[in-house]
Amino acid sequence: MIKHHPSDEMLLAHAAGETVLGLAIALSAHCELCPACAAKVEHFQHKLAMHHLPLPDQTSEAARSGAISESVSKGSVDQSGVASGDSAWNSSWDSSWESQDNSLDSLFDAITATPAASAVETSAHDCSTVSLATEVKGFSYSLPKAFRSFVANPALASSWSGIGHVSRMRLDTRDGKARSSLLHIAAGGEIPEHTHKGQEITLLLHGHFSDEMGDYAPGDFMVTDARHQHTPKTLDGCLCFTVVDAPLHFTKGLSKLLNPIGELIY
Amino acid sequence: MQIFRQNQHGSHYDRSSSPINIKGMQDSKPDISEETLRHWLVAVANHRDKSAFRALFDHFGPKVRSFGMSRLAQQGLAMDLVQETLTTVWTKAHLFDTDRGNVSTWVYAIMRNQCFDMLRRVQHNREDAFGDDIWPLFDVDTHAGDHGDHKLDALLNQYLSKLPKLQREVVLGIYLQELSQQELADRLGVPLGTIKSRLRLGLEKLKSLLEKHHD
Ligand SMILES: [Zn+2]
Repeated sequence: MIKHHPSDEMLLAHAAGETVLGLAIALSAHCELCPACAAKVEHFQHKLAMHHLPLPDQTSEAARSGAISESVSKGSVDQSGVASGDSAWNSSWDSSWESQDNSLDSLFDAITATPAASAVETSAHDCSTVSLATEVKGFSYSLPKAFRSFVANPALASSWSGIGHVSRMRLDTRDGKARSSLLHIAAGGEIPEHTHKGQEITLLLHGHFSDEMGDYAPGDFMVTDARHQHTPKTLDGCLCFTVVDAPLHFTKGLSKLLNPIGELIY
Repeated sequence: MQIFRQNQHGSHYDRSSSPINIKGMQDSKPDISEETLRHWLVAVANHRDKSAFRALFDHFGPKVRSFGMSRLAQQGLAMDLVQETLTTVWTKAHLFDTDRGNVSTWVYAIMRNQCFDMLRRVQHNREDAFGDDIWPLFDVDTHAGDHGDHKLDALLNQYLSKLPKLQREVVLGIYLQELSQQELADRLGVPLGTIKSRLRLGLEKLKSLLEKHHD
């Protein structure tokens, strides 16, 4: 049973697409294992959609909610100290949209000249029924869909390597300082007591491990930092995804406007 | 075999019997509801209807561009985002389940995924695309199993997609994720009895759908 979940703020940033790739993969993989967080992200997506792609009658509805809607109705969010956000564009760009008729028509023609995606071709990617797995130390582990582009692509992922009980596959996520890896600890293995310099995200994908603070099961999503000191060990062996030094301060954009997050979450 | 359900709902949008005055909607301050968007999308899905698509294009285009401007900060890139997003709407409309999904939310997801990849492309000058792996655009995908018979899977997925969400969740949990009923109850935070009854109702519905198919 999953006991450790990402924070609502993180899930919101995920729905907004505002985290680094490694963290997005961890959050997506957690959601594939955790219906509760998946439902939250779905909810946030809907709220964000209503904010960025409002229906004509939603401006007033939105006006009843918190920080976000203030930005919608005022066209800016200066009062929160954040530079004018996305919504400021809406009204001005809406009107200039029609004034570029010619280029819009050619864009429209170009799009509608594109053939519909065939069901077969699409199901190969979007509705893939092919399972995703990785093999390490003679075991095969299934992986969440977020890993699809990485697994078996030598340009994006190293092969498994390591000594003793611990093996690692590094994923090339190009996230600046943040480094993402799949980590395998064989049965009976232990990682020597250590602390963390920066933030570390650990998502347990298979098996179990425990440390001084408790026991963890598949799907558990942990955030640890310099204050934590621990000695993880596993009886049955486990596969984790880790992102170290992940910036947990999200990039500019909507999530910054959500302090307090308020309306968007509840 | 009809895999995608939208095709069965052609009657929702019948231009000859219930014309939608698209032009009129654009002239005055438009009265666009989620229902309107859905009708347009179904018309695109079933008939490749260009005037319905034009209405979607004019509704979403400027908003997608605004979003692109705020994220990508370049007009050229913002228009690329418009093109990428609306091309996906045009080419994949028939894959979207209009009975279950919300059109604006789907378009938002397409836009967000594209924008995520475009930002990385600008930063790294590489053509990688990860957005659709991280946030799958089609729900069926989330629950696709890894079993051998793809045809049967497609059919089962189609039927599973007709179950109410709560029942679907339980059926998938038990049969695809191979959780025990107790594990599922714990995960979803509901009593064991609820799991049992959702499972029973879900299986009954599936059975009736399969029987209908084999008739
Ligand atoms: Zn969760």
